[in-house]
Amino acid sequence: MPGNADAGPAPTGLMRSLVPLSAQIVLFDGFDPLDVVAPFEVLAAGSDALGGELHVELVSAEGPRAVVSGTLGLSLTATSALDPNRPGYVIVPGASGPVDGDPDEGVVTIPVLLARFADSAAAPLLQRALDNPEITVATVCGGSLTLAMAGLIDGRNAVTHTLGMDVLDATGVNAIRARVVDDGDLITSGGVTSGLDLALYLLDREFGPAIARAVEDLFEYERRGTVWHPGGRIPAAS
Amino acid sequence: MVNERMSSLPGNWNLRLKTPIGTLEIPYYFDQTTDGLHGTATSTSETVPLENLTVDATGDGSLHVTWQQKVTKPMRLNLTFEVTVTGDTMTGHSRAGRLPRTTVTGQRVDGAHTPQA
Repeated sequence: MPGNADAGPAPTGLMRSLVPLSAQIVLFDGFDPLDVVAPFEVLAAGSDALGGELHVELVSAEGPRAVVSGTLGLSLTATSALDPNRPGYVIVPGASGPVDGDPDEGVVTIPVLLARFADSAAAPLLQRALDNPEITVATVCGGSLTLAMAGLIDGRNAVTHTLGMDVLDATGVNAIRARVVDDGDLITSGGVTSGLDLALYLLDREFGPAIARAVEDLFEYERRGTVWHPGGRIPAAS
Repeated sequence: MVNERMSSLPGNWNLRLKTPIGTLEIPYYFDQTTDGLHGTATSTSETVPLENLTVDATGDGSLHVTWQQKVTKPMRLNLTFEVTVTGDTMTGHSRAGRLPRTTVTGQRVDGAHTPQA
């Protein structure tokens, strides 16, 4: 594999270029629209730059259906069922809703939305996706918290929205404060707009920097933050 | 002769504790065996053993009890408990990681000292 020490574990791009890659973005009730649309558009533009080699799709665990987001009733349509057999990427967004409020009084807070998704038909499919060596599971914002609540990423390195980092830690995940965390077959990112940086990192990691730069120019956006991966030196105590 | 002023732990209890997604009501069973005191917590889908269960008398007849446990429903959490048992009542706190600690209350369930069905 070409040396690319700064981009985490070497991608298996050589093998996977023989099969068209999928990027399945998973919708669920109460999803955050920008968590979905940012990676959707970045990967769609990346696919254009690749001459159509990446198949980007909105999916749901329940199959094709309209899915209502957590923001002002905005709805997007999943066009197929989440398939943990398709090589490529499965991307899990977070939820949009009240942060404060008492679930005992019926307030459907973001943790409640994420817990419902974690308890749905999606959980065994996401487990299979994590177990599939041909799939990289990626998350934006509270998407990592959903996986953690379902017990799927115990002991893994991951990040979520700043407001959810303590809950992430309480589930047994090694919560890392970085914009994007590359833990090999699990790549997680922080809150909301981090989905832009996640998707650009996936393009860079899989297809190289020229593809990522082409999308950055089109979207007039430059990647933010450092991509964390295991290893490397630790800062000296100050 | 039972010292009626000394609280005891063995038996069935119902605990209530708050999590980030609402209050849980969990049946617990504590049992004194030849190799020490053990406890389990039962939810709809699992029975979880309590780890590092310790009991100390507080000097006024109450018991200071601590333990750790994992739950997986309704969400995965690693919990640490610290409670005081006085008679048939338990009060204290549980903590998950760096989250603020939450109140725990418990009530002994009347009946025989066998696990609840």
